[in-house]
Amino acid sequence: GGAMSFLKRIPPPAEGVRHRQPDTEAVLSGRSLGAGWLYIAESRLSWLENSGVGFSLDYPTISLHAVSRDLSAYPSEHLYVMVNAKFEEEGTKEAPVTEEEEEEDSDDDAEPIAEFRFVPNDKSALEAMFSAMCECQALHPDPDDEDSDNDYEGEEYDVEAR
Amino acid sequence: MEVSHSLKERAIAENSLVILLQGLRGLLTTVELRDESAATGLVTNVDAFMNVRLAQVTFTDRQGVVSHLDELFVTGRNVRYVHIPQEVDIRATIEQQLQLLQRLRSFGGRHRGRKEFPRSKH
Repeated sequence: GGAMSFLKRIPPPAEGVRHRQPDTEAVLSGRSLGAGWLYIAESRLSWLENSGVGFSLDYPTISLHAVSRDLSAYPSEHLYVMVNAKFEEEGTKEAPVTEEEEEEDSDDDAEPIAEFRFVPNDKSALEAMFSAMCECQALHPDPDDEDSDNDYEGEEYDVEAR
Repeated sequence: MEVSHSLKERAIAENSLVILLQGLRGLLTTVELRDESAATGLVTNVDAFMNVRLAQVTFTDRQGVVSHLDELFVTGRNVRYVHIPQEVDIRATIEQQLQLLQRLRSFGGRHRGRKEFPRSKH
């Protein structure tokens, strides 16, 4: 019991892959999902076990990502990704004594949060993974931006138009 | 050195206070997030969508737990406040950034000394 039901068989992204990292462990809220490939593609972030089972995250749901090398906070250098969504984590009864973050989201928070850590075997790849994510994230600006004067299509902001 | 290259991003920046944040590159700055966590670090880049990239970050989560992150990227949507460092002259920074963007705009085109892109007219 307690299988991560959000894991399913999905194909690896076919195009717009800015970075792929083999031998990367995925950890959700302190629970390891095993090792697999992390694909940082323009359309979405995906992680797949060698068996072909995995999950993907859409950039608009990602609040932030970071490179953590602080071994006192977490014992391995990794890419941290905070997602604005709930993933199956009920049944965290067996609190694996692994990490600090047993943040029982006290449900007075309206915001669902899920914390993923992607731990590559090759730590030197973290920089590239981080940058690839920054680039892809920038391709998905917030459509709900209240400052919706981003309507510059009609205006002549052409270099030659002055 | 990342500067917005797209015309659209420059247009957005020139017309919003994001241009001030773009002038904070290299400065130690605190960004408060929507969920009440906060990140203090050196600004690497701020784009037109207010996505903020910081380096050498001290991150305090909403529970008050502190950790250190080498690099952090927060999406604009999740930024609540950016604390402008005290030493920053806001007006001067905005003017500087505007000049920088104007310079970029004329770079490819009609700027006298710099014909890197031969125009069909000449």
